[in-house]
Order: sequence, then C-alpha cells, then structure tokens
Amino acid sequence: MPPVINTEACLGCGICADVCPLQVFRHNKVTDKVPEVKRPYECWHCNACVLDCPAHAIELRLPLTHMLLYVDADTLKPRDLPAR
Amino acid sequence: MIPLKKQYEADVAVIGGGIAGLMAAIAAADKGARVVLLDKANTKRSGAGATGNDHFLCWIPEKHGDISVVYNEFMDSQNATSNDTPLVMRFLETSPKIVNMWNDWGINMKPTGDFHFEGHAYPGRPRIFLKYDGHNQKKVLTEQAKKRGVQILNHAPVLEMFRNEEGVSGVLALDVSGDEPSFIMVHAKAVVAATGYVSRLFTTDPTPSQMFNTNMCPSGTGDSIAQAWRIGTYLVNMEKTYRHAGPRFLARCGKATWIGVYRYPDGRPVGPFITKPDVETGDMTSDVWSSAFTDLKLSGRGPAYMDCSGASREDLEHMRWAMKCEGLTALLDYMDKEGIDPGRHAVEFGQYEANLVTNGIEIDINGESNVRGLFAAGDMMGNISGDIGAAAVYGWIAGHHAADYQHLALDEGMPAQAGERMAFYSAIYERKTGASWQEANFALQQIMTEYADCGPHRVRSDTMLSAGIKYLGDLRRKMEKELYASDAHELMRAAEVINLLDLGQALMVSARERKESRGRHIRSDYTFTNPLLRDKFLRVWQENGEVKMAWRDRLI
Repeated sequence: MPPVINTEACLGCGICADVCPLQVFRHNKVTDKVPEVKRPYECWHCNACVLDCPAHAIELRLPLTHMLLYVDADTLKPRDLPAR
Repeated sequence: MIPLKKQYEADVAVIGGGIAGLMAAIAAADKGARVVLLDKANTKRSGAGATGNDHFLCWIPEKHGDISVVYNEFMDSQNATSNDTPLVMRFLETSPKIVNMWNDWGINMKPTGDFHFEGHAYPGRPRIFLKYDGHNQKKVLTEQAKKRGVQILNHAPVLEMFRNEEGVSGVLALDVSGDEPSFIMVHAKAVVAATGYVSRLFTTDPTPSQMFNTNMCPSGTGDSIAQAWRIGTYLVNMEKTYRHAGPRFLARCGKATWIGVYRYPDGRPVGPFITKPDVETGDMTSDVWSSAFTDLKLSGRGPAYMDCSGASREDLEHMRWAMKCEGLTALLDYMDKEGIDPGRHAVEFGQYEANLVTNGIEIDINGESNVRGLFAAGDMMGNISGDIGAAAVYGWIAGHHAADYQHLALDEGMPAQAGERMAFYSAIYERKTGASWQEANFALQQIMTEYADCGPHRVRSDTMLSAGIKYLGDLRRKMEKELYASDAHELMRAAEVINLLDLGQALMVSARERKESRGRHIRSDYTFTNPLLRDKFLRVWQENGEVKMAWRDRLI
C-alpha cells in the first residue's frame, strides 16, 4: 500500500518520516535502518516522501480504490442508438 | 498522567505552519516578536500548499489598473458570499507587496518572465489568478521564518488554547515525535490560529472506504477553529459548507490547472464558456455551475469528462509544468505509470464531499477575533475567502498585528483550565480498550452526512438538524467515555475527531438557524432564497457552556 520503499536503495536517513504530513511512517533510527510504512491507510499520496527522498528510493502505489477513471477522448461522441 | 515536558514563552504563538502560519510568523518576527510556531507535521511539507500551488489571487496594479477590476471579478466567485468587503480590499491592497516579497525570496512569481494571469477565468473578462511556480514555497517560507529566529516546533499538534480575563494566554500541545506522548505548554501574549481547511467531517464521497482520500490534505481537521470555539470565539458562516470537484476516484484539488473542456459523454461541452482547451481561461463551468458533475450523474446524462485532447503539444506541456507547480506530482506519476495521456484520454470529474473553507473564525480588518490577542488566518477565516493568496496576505497581516502585543506582560502562570484538559487527554491514553479514533471519526461522518449534508440534491431541515444535534451530543458522551489511543499518533488523531465534533455542532446549529435555501445550503422546509438574508452573516459562539447566535450585516 501507499509508499513503497526500495530497501536496498534506502539510506536510512528518515527524511520521509520527518516530512510526511500524515505520519504514515514510523522510524526508530536506533533499531531500524528502513522506516516502517506503519499507517498506509493514512497516506494522502501527496508525494512529499517521494520528492524529498535523497536516494529516490520511494514510489507511491495508489490503491485500487483511487484509480483514475478515463476513456479515449475520441469516444466522446454521439452513440449510434438503434432507431425506434 | 502524560508528562508536561517542555514549556516555552513567546510573544506570539502560531498554530499551524502552512502558508498563513508561516507568513504570520515571519511578519511577527520582523517586528521583533519572539515567535513559537507549532505544526502537526513538518512545516516543509504541511498544509494545503505542501507540495505546491500554481495560482495566487492578487492585484498587480500595472496589469489590472484599478483595484475594482480584481474586486469585482473576485466577488463573482462561489465563496465570495462569505466575504466582508473591507477585508477583501485590505487583502487586495496588500497583495502586490506580498507577491513581490515571495518573488524576492525565491518563489517564482514570474515563471514566464513577467506577471501573467491565467486560469479560473471567463473568456473576455479580466483574469485575477497569477500563474506562479509554488513547488518550493513551503521550504522557502520555512527558511525565511528560521532566518528571523522563529522557533519551529514540528510534530507538535496543538490540543487547546487558553484565555484569562484579558484575552488569549497560551496553548497546550502534544509532542508526537515519538510513540510516547508528552505535553508542551506555550505561554503567549498573542496567538495566530492557522490550521487551514477542514477535511474528514463528512463521509468521503469518491471512496467511502478511504477516509483519507480527500481533495485537501486530510490532516486538516480545523483544530484551532474548534479550540477557539471552546474559549468563546465567534465563528461565522459555519452553515455555508463547500464541495470541491476534481478527478475521480483520486480526490485532488487543482481543477483550474487542467486546461480542457468539460464534456458530456456524447462530446458536447457541459458549459457555454469554451469548446476547445484553453490555457488562458480553463473551463469555468464547474466554478459557475457547481453542481454540474452531480447533476449529470444523477440525471443519467453523465458522467462528465475533462477533455484536454485537441490542445497543442505545447499547451499540454504547459499544463504538465503547471501541475508540477501546483504540487500534483503524485497524480502525474500515476498517469505516467498507467499510460493515461491527457492529450488522448478524457478523465472523469466529480464532486467531493462537503468541507469547511471560509467557515470559521470571524476576524476584524487586522485578523483579530473577538478574543483579545487571538488572530486567525488562512482557509479557516470565516469572513474572507481567497485561497492561497488570502492565506499568504492575511497571514502576514495577522502576524504583523499580533506582534503589537509583545509589549504586554506575559502571563506565566499555568492556565486555570490546563490541569483539567491535560487530565482529559491523559485519560484517553491511559484507557486500555475502547473506541479507536477511526471508529469515532466514521461515526461522526455518518451523522454529519446523514443529517447535515449540503447540496446539490441533499437537503437540510429543522427536524433532521435537530435530530443530528441530539445524536452528536450522544456521540460526544460516548467518545468522552470510550475514546482510547495507544500511542502519541493515535492521541493526536483522537483530538482531531474531538475538534471535528465541535465543528459539526457549530455547523448544525448554524444550518438550523438559516431558515432559507441559499447556494448549497438547501432547506426542504424553507425552499426559497430570502433576499433579506442575502447580506446577513450568522455568528455562533459558546458562553458558559451554551451556544449563542446572532445575525449581523455583511460589511460592505
């Protein structure tokens, strides 16, 4: 769910946990290198962690509930309905 | 008992480090005040402007000429019905100074080389939204505040405000930087409340199962509006709830950054303003016909699509750049990953749930409330709208005047109510089982959505609101007994729900009192719009535990 940390690339700096407006992460610098994505349901997908990660080690995954609804623009035209 | 670990003394305490709060802190510090700013998260990335903005309502004399050009255009917008004119004039008069200040500090207000206004505009009419690149605005403002000696306490949500016989006297906050909570007390001569937009009061419209999928940041829960309400501050326009619109299902502001045309599924434009994408104006349809998306859906003629196809490659690139300025990088990343190309694909738009913006603390021309020394700025001002522009400008005005209180003596004593409030929050943490904050928040949203929702297609009435007020009281008593939090974070969230409940109550009593239908406030028992109430604002406040109400004229 929400932020996905590449644990190989993560530097363990904790910037993501510090800047996240929702406290999605929990980072115990003493015991853990990689922050834990503790509260995924509180992620707003603002991208702050992605933008500020110095190692570019975070990607967001949008839950299926958040999917964008879209169509090919050229389908926006009158439909050929059967004649009455 | 949760320990009180830190105490600070300040001339000015600022609650919330969004755009308004940081500008207030900067202005107060410029006048020599000792400023302590408390933020729930980190000022570098908190609030509605966390990752950027791209349009700033302002008056630039060399572009607009007379100020009335901007005033008239602004007062035609949806939320202008809550505006006191003298405040709007002060905002606009001060805006060029703030815009130039931001530009000097490194927020690019002239990304095309000069001041340029676009978006949220009607074809052929003046434009009032300055296109700017706000992607770095929070970092720049944080640096400016620090440079002036502002003490920033991050991860320190405020729980309560206090007042003595004279006026406001300080705030109690929670340290949520670790799992273990502790209290922070800030004794202050003046307080600027700036906690922004209110989300999470109503059931999330696009995704009922995902409470945090809101158009503005879901950490905005109107905390300092509720805290001010608890100490007798006047709130105003609480019944005028707002519903934003944007892409579905990912809820997000920034619709004016999209350059396309809103279309019916058969390709016809939904509104009369543009027939092909237009970088300069955007499509004003959803600003004017605010219920359009819901009307289309409920009538079966929808859904409505935002169609940017037909725009030139250059214009599409411009929109992409603007979305980055606006802070919509998560949306862009997602669209890239999914192969959604605005040049070829039309994205469905819809309305979101009701929120509070321009419903809140009533301020005077200097940003001060009826409680001496308590100021408010930003989206939680009850009697002036204006988004990022008004937040920046009124934040600065409020901080400037709050600093005048630095010459008073500081009340260093522990506020009379502090012990009781610390015990209240400690009890939530010390309880071992009970209701989680999520449970309480969902329960509150159910009551708000069922009994006090706003239009389109949803009605309020005396009987429904009276029932809702009763049920909120029941929920309050249950929450007081049962809310529990297992760590500092959960205690912060529990406090947010307590604040939201207070706002729900203020909203419902106001909505019951406005006995007419007006805009989104649709009454089934008063279906008409009463011209006599057009320029009437409803003020609500608490006095000795009772809710009081009074009508006043809009200041013209």
